[in-house]
Amino acid sequence: MSLLDIKNLTLEIDSASGWIKALDKASFTLADGEIRALVGESGSGKSLIVRAIVGALPDNWRITADRMTWKGQDLLSLDQQERREILRNDIAVIFQNPKQSLDPSCPLGEQLEEVIADNNVEGRFFWQKRQSRQRIAANLLHKVGIKDHRLCMQSYPHQLADDICQKFMIAMALASEPKLLIADDPTRGMEVTTKVQILKLLTRLNQIRQLSILFVSHDLLAISSMAHTMTVLYCGQTVETGPMEQLKRRPFHPYTKALMDSAPSFRKDLPPKSPLLAMDGTIPTLQHLPIGCRLGPRCPRAQRECVKMPEVRRVHSHYYSCHFPLHRSNKA
Amino acid sequence: MIPLLAVEDLSYQQGRSRRWMRGRSQFHLGPINFELRAGETLAIVGENGSGKSLLAKLLVGVETPSSGDIYLNGQRLTMHNIKQRCLNIRMIFQQSNESLNPGITIGSILDEPLRLNTQMNAYERNEKIVETLKQVGLLPDHRYFYRHMLSDGQRQRVALARALILNPQVIVADEPFAALDPSVRSQIVNLLMKLQRELGLGFIFISHNLGIVRHISDKILIMQRGMAVEAGKTDTIFNWPKNEYTQKLVNSHQALVGR
Ligand SMILES: Nc1ncnc2c1ncn2[C@@H]1O[C@H](COP(=O)(O)OP(=O)(O)O)[C@@H](O)[C@H]1O
Ligand code: SF4
Ligand SMILES: [Mg+2]
Repeated sequence: MSLLDIKNLTLEIDSASGWIKALDKASFTLADGEIRALVGESGSGKSLIVRAIVGALPDNWRITADRMTWKGQDLLSLDQQERREILRNDIAVIFQNPKQSLDPSCPLGEQLEEVIADNNVEGRFFWQKRQSRQRIAANLLHKVGIKDHRLCMQSYPHQLADDICQKFMIAMALASEPKLLIADDPTRGMEVTTKVQILKLLTRLNQIRQLSILFVSHDLLAISSMAHTMTVLYCGQTVETGPMEQLKRRPFHPYTKALMDSAPSFRKDLPPKSPLLAMDGTIPTLQHLPIGCRLGPRCPRAQRECVKMPEVRRVHSHYYSCHFPLHRSNKA
Repeated sequence: MIPLLAVEDLSYQQGRSRRWMRGRSQFHLGPINFELRAGETLAIVGENGSGKSLLAKLLVGVETPSSGDIYLNGQRLTMHNIKQRCLNIRMIFQQSNESLNPGITIGSILDEPLRLNTQMNAYERNEKIVETLKQVGLLPDHRYFYRHMLSDGQRQRVALARALILNPQVIVADEPFAALDPSVRSQIVNLLMKLQRELGLGFIFISHNLGIVRHISDKILIMQRGMAVEAGKTDTIFNWPKNEYTQKLVNSHQALVGR
């Protein structure tokens, strides 16, 4: 059974020009122990999906879904209290720019000890409890590969390097022993060696602790080095979803192909300084969404049919929504 | 042949050592040496805080080096020919978002360097603005737009237009691709390579994206803690890195590409 199962999640925002579908039938699942990448350009709705999962959306937005379940439990019918319970116990979120999500005026040790749940703390008296908390905190730091826990706990956020800070954020996220870690662009702006450290850590946590990860990013190199599956989002629509390798080798959707083409490292045969295959135009704003397939105006394969929203098609565990897919001779 | 740009023993010492600042380590950059020919691209790669942006600022003259020389077409740049530098070495800053004034139109943003640095009259300036907008793939009508009306990619094009409008010989860019989404990034990469071919621009850019660095640069300068730890041809650096940190960088990149 999937941990997280989202089918046709639609999110409508009230704007001056009426209701706009910021998410239009977004779908994907996340199995126990899976690393799924959620890919798309900024404004494609990645963060909105994350916010929908953790229930951090304004009340006046219309949210509907055929299915949106966590371990079989319908998330949309839960009240705030029950939602928070799941979040506290099962789901943790880390963001890009770890420094900005930490309190700059408070030593890291205190911030970490604060998130350790009371029922994990041993001892009856406050000094025993304090010692227990410190032990747990040190353990968490060791788990994420911070060896000098004492130095780290005494430090303030600005005193640490980017990668240590992000490792610290991951340690904070692990304090509640979550089943799912949602990482929203956790390696943005990092230098490669640092980035690889963080990716290795996430991979190890996935392998050792069976931690499921929803990895939100548009860094295709990072994604392809660790994710098992990938869901591609364009303008609030899930255009393709399936096993990482298949999407990389034989994407069906023109947009997925454009994404893959944007990473010169994937193309060993590319002569230096030759033009990259690039898709024209930019992602439209929510106020100017095309009807039907939202890639239409930019898509090199678009035809008249594309003003109708393509159905979701499926080949084994590989799903795509396109009237004229690549690599498939007998199209609709 | 005289290189377009030559940098010799360029260094920068932050402030003077003061006793009451004990404990705070002083940042020292350099000495840096490199040469760039017309039409060549140099990539500057390294850790955050290793001095890459500072080096860029020294090149365009926003900061003053404590020692060393910069030669443009064999001529040494000094305080006296600062104007020449302003015209010929132009910078695109890290966040084109923040560096474009939100309160004035794109036309005014592009007009400013022309008014400050040339004798052109209003008609000539307007012609030049239209020409440059087209050069970077925008429309003449974008003159009347404000920053907030443009997408990320279009803003980056405006930043590029502002750098190009004075017909410079060298463009220095600090993380020009970082804020761009993949499909738009390829457009800007292609645009830069095209302009470079057509205009013979020397291009110096800072980036963490080794995939793009490998694809578009001819040379690489690797920086660590203010030092240039290795420099050389792109191909050589990726295939036979000598310095320990360079090896780590290249291996990390290969590890990502590998699977
Ligand atoms: N509070 C809001 N009000 C109106 N529109 C919003 C709001 N927050 C996000 N959006 C819009 O929703 C779309 C998706 O945003 P987001 O999920 O942040 O994209 P991503 O994470 O992929 O960069 C964007 O077009 C954005 O402008
Ligand atoms: S449905 Fe049409 S417009 Fe959309 S991606 Fe497929 S071919 Fe392109
Ligand atoms: Mg986002």
